[in-house]
Amino acid sequence: MTLPPFALVRPTTLDEALRELTEDSVPYCGGTELLLAMRAGLHRPDALVDLKRIPELTGVRAGDGMLVIGAAERHADLATHPLILERLPVFARMEKHIGNARVRNQGSIGGNLCFAEPKSDVATLLMALEASVTLVSPGGRRTVTVEELIVGPYYAEKEPDEILVDVRIPLRDGLRGAYVKFQTMERPTVGVAVLADDAAGWYRLGVGAVGEVPLAWSFGSLAEIDPDDIASRVDPTPDLAGSEEYKRHVTAVYVRRALAKLEQVSS
Amino acid sequence: MGENVVGQSVRRPDLVEKVTGAAEYCVDVTMPGMAHAKVVRSDRAHARITGIDVAEALAAPGVVAVVTAADIASLHARFGHIITDHWILAPDKVRYYGEPVAVVVAETVAAAADAVELVRVSYEDLPAVMDAEAALADGAPLVHEQAYEATGDESFKNLSHVDEGDGAQQVPSNVAHEVTIGWGEVDAAFADSAVVVENTVHFPMLYAYAMEPYNAVASYAEGALSVVSTAQHPYMVRDDLARVFDLPLSRVRVTSPYLGGGYGSKSYTKVEPLASVASWVTGRPVKLTLTVEEAIYTTRVDSAKIWVKSGFAADGTILAREFDVVMDSGAYADNSPLVMAKTVNRCFGPYRVPNLRVRGLSVYTNTSPASSYRGFGAPQGALAGETNLDRAAEQLGISGADIRRRNLVRKGEEILPGKRGIDADIPADLEMVVESLERDRKDVPYYGIGFGCTASDAGAYPISTAQVRIQIDGSVLVLSGSTEMGQGSRSLLAQVAAEELGVDLAVVKVVQSDTSVTPYERTTGASRTSTLVGLALQRACADARSRMRDMAAELFECAPGEVRDRPGAVAAPDGRELDFGSVVRQWFGGSAGEVTGVGLLRRDGATQKMPPFWEVGMVGVAVEIDPETGVVAVDQLVTVADVGFAINPRAVEGQDLGAATQGLGMALHEELVYDGPQLANANVVDYRVPRTTDLPRKIDLMIAERRDGVGPYGAKGAGEGTLNPIGGAVAAAVARAVGRWPDRLPLTPERVWRLMNRD
Ligand SMILES: Cc1cc2nc3c(=O)[nH]c(=O)nc-3n(C[C@H](O)[C@H](O)[C@H](O)COP(=O)(O)OP(=O)(O)OC[C@H]3O[C@@H](n4cnc5c(N)ncnc54)[C@H](O)[C@@H]3O)c2cc1C
Repeated sequence: MTLPPFALVRPTTLDEALRELTEDSVPYCGGTELLLAMRAGLHRPDALVDLKRIPELTGVRAGDGMLVIGAAERHADLATHPLILERLPVFARMEKHIGNARVRNQGSIGGNLCFAEPKSDVATLLMALEASVTLVSPGGRRTVTVEELIVGPYYAEKEPDEILVDVRIPLRDGLRGAYVKFQTMERPTVGVAVLADDAAGWYRLGVGAVGEVPLAWSFGSLAEIDPDDIASRVDPTPDLAGSEEYKRHVTAVYVRRALAKLEQVSS
Repeated sequence: MGENVVGQSVRRPDLVEKVTGAAEYCVDVTMPGMAHAKVVRSDRAHARITGIDVAEALAAPGVVAVVTAADIASLHARFGHIITDHWILAPDKVRYYGEPVAVVVAETVAAAADAVELVRVSYEDLPAVMDAEAALADGAPLVHEQAYEATGDESFKNLSHVDEGDGAQQVPSNVAHEVTIGWGEVDAAFADSAVVVENTVHFPMLYAYAMEPYNAVASYAEGALSVVSTAQHPYMVRDDLARVFDLPLSRVRVTSPYLGGGYGSKSYTKVEPLASVASWVTGRPVKLTLTVEEAIYTTRVDSAKIWVKSGFAADGTILAREFDVVMDSGAYADNSPLVMAKTVNRCFGPYRVPNLRVRGLSVYTNTSPASSYRGFGAPQGALAGETNLDRAAEQLGISGADIRRRNLVRKGEEILPGKRGIDADIPADLEMVVESLERDRKDVPYYGIGFGCTASDAGAYPISTAQVRIQIDGSVLVLSGSTEMGQGSRSLLAQVAAEELGVDLAVVKVVQSDTSVTPYERTTGASRTSTLVGLALQRACADARSRMRDMAAELFECAPGEVRDRPGAVAAPDGRELDFGSVVRQWFGGSAGEVTGVGLLRRDGATQKMPPFWEVGMVGVAVEIDPETGVVAVDQLVTVADVGFAINPRAVEGQDLGAATQGLGMALHEELVYDGPQLANANVVDYRVPRTTDLPRKIDLMIAERRDGVGPYGAKGAGEGTLNPIGGAVAAAVARAVGRWPDRLPLTPERVWRLMNRD
């Protein structure tokens, strides 16, 4: 389909952007999802409010035990960002393998979360990392966890007048992490994140793309993670990439592969 | 052998403009005063149209007209080059989801798209037949209640070489076309066989994905029609359009700029009638550009279910083969009858088959219409024939190479009685493939090698014409009605002309595919351009040279027979030389004029026997399987291009790698899936085509040059052959890797995992 006509608004401050938002005037960042939805006739806003020129939504910084990533940051830049490579290499590697070159060079981390595409790598790893996001509306500012934000397929729990400003990831010294995904089509069939902070006895596993929303669990040790048990906890969506039975099977395979990969990662 | 320009991998003239995006494709073409069309399509598989309300759409801003079947009832509103069953706009009922019901013409694409939503079509649902089995069942609802007149396309008979069913169906049914071939005493031979092997394969429903979707811009004015479109065969489209509007052929002009890929999907008529009738109704030029989704609903590839049975002597010699082919051809016949006719010719392979029986049914269903696809029935047929042979080898306890060595025909032997004998050394090609595969065989678990051979009656019907026009500066225009769709025909034809005339390649310019300017060319398909246009062009060059000699004789004041040919020039008996430009200038006087050479090719002499040449498909693959996920990685791809002589070796390699990669797509990834009346994956995100990262680890593209073709310098065509045996080769490799035989493509990870884990 052809893109229907729309107005493009390009605010340069967060306040200005917030004033522009209405039901029919929606945030627009990389457009990788939004424009497709508009072309498919699923969505027909009157105006797009471009968030890319708002300074508050850009940049990557570390402070207060947090890595803070601006919502408009693009996958390709995050994959090579020195601070992320140094402090959270597992995140940089995940970003490097998202979608395709066009999606990585255009799509933003904030857009990824707000669209809540079930086959996301970003949400899976962020959920395992116990990350949260900052949402700002004309009424104020709030912080919610990624787990609270991503409540359903294509459904992020946020108000239409809220803008996702940044993503906050708690930093842990000596964190080891691995993210592996099984992908045969355009998007992952299953993605598995496994994280270990041995000193703190903190272990997390995230599984995404296979069901409607990513899931993440905490464990007391890596040995507690039973791949077959995890496979029984997910609720796979059957589609052209595989049946429910097959997806459950490859979930167990990839949990095993994630654990094997983690073993090779030194802190 | 003394050639200078042919045989070289010269750089194609369209390379830079295509890479930089400067090249003009049809989608870039505009006409002054042009309006834009969007198509209202059926949202159900099979339904009677009870009303079309266009009032609201007509009232929408920017809308010029809404065209329905009623508006074009005075035209011959159907097309189809074999069976004219294809309604331009559904008149009384729709036969598949996505079928055009109306065309909205508006000032902008957006206005047209919006107004499409406002056209209210009311339907009364009819029971649908969504696959061939349902369509053939007793009492199945009919897709077409009526029979249609044949177009009288003479050459279809010659091309198909089969006993056609008696055509006029007595009882209406969903059989669009039926063909049988055979010889010998099949049943007796089966009774005498030491081993009989029987199996059934399923060939997937595919889309021949080309980057540029169908599009056309048409202008009907003052009793003439001019269309620029993505037509692979502009002359064939011209003929269909002339019939629709009852115009003399000279008043219909079809032009095809560069095509963004075709692979068969752009052969024959597609969107040209829609754009043309929209222009006829509105009196404005009209542009229609389809989306990929609409393109998939315009033409897909025939899916097939093929049962095959072969009988062998104890040493592996084939005694008899039998095939039963059922193809799901969708709602309209398009080119499926020819695809079917080719399948029955190509399924049993280049082997000595003393007793043969093949039956083929092309079946109407309420799905997107199927038509040509690279390989024309050979990919479907070979999947059955070749996997059957490999299964037999396993049962006979001999290798896949040995069973083929025992049965492959030698050069000159006929595989179709009365047709041209095989013009290739296929056993030698097989050894090249096997040697390369075995050399790099990996000793790891879940590893398998497979290979396959096909021979296709290629070249299509040999009617070809070409012209060369020699200019006063000695530069040369080559005119051909063939189409450049990525295959590199412009450099090939330029090379032939430069060689024949002895001029620099840089002064030769090839002009193609304009029915009012370039001379007649039947089709650009069946791997024919290098061979058949090449021959016509050689003749055109000879004709131009002969005229040059006659003119030079006047200038030299000698007898024409005394004038000698020189590179780009002629020489008098006394040694005086005149280059072409000087001959033209001096003969006409006044530094103007040109000389035209004409080359005509028909079924005559070297091209009397059909087919003009055999296109050999010879490939091998090695696969490595991840036993936990079923993912198949292709470790080796080995191909042999048995082209007689490679006019441009790099172009041949490009064709082979492209065809093989497309074949790997069908073998491992591609399949259109119907979910109810509608496709579940009519887009290129969910319809998974091969990617760069899927490319095999080792790629060995070999060329066998034995100068055994009828074409220029002994050349034969390339382009389809390498795709044809890939499916069977991959299936065999997977079977050898996991110890079980698959019965269908594509071999997706889940299918392979299930094959391995089945009880
Ligand atoms: C072909 C393809 C393949 C892909 N493959 C993968 C993959 O392998 N893994 C993966 O994880 N993802 C994948 N994606 C998803 C990709 O990561 C997202 O499309 C991208 O990051 C979305 O960001 P965007 O800036 O383009 O969002 P946009 O399209 O601009 O916006 C998406 C939605 O979010 C809203 N929005 C955007 N930014 C904000 C904000 N800051 N605040 C509030 N609302 C906002 C918009 O209004 C819109 O509703 C793929 C996408 C495509 C198209």
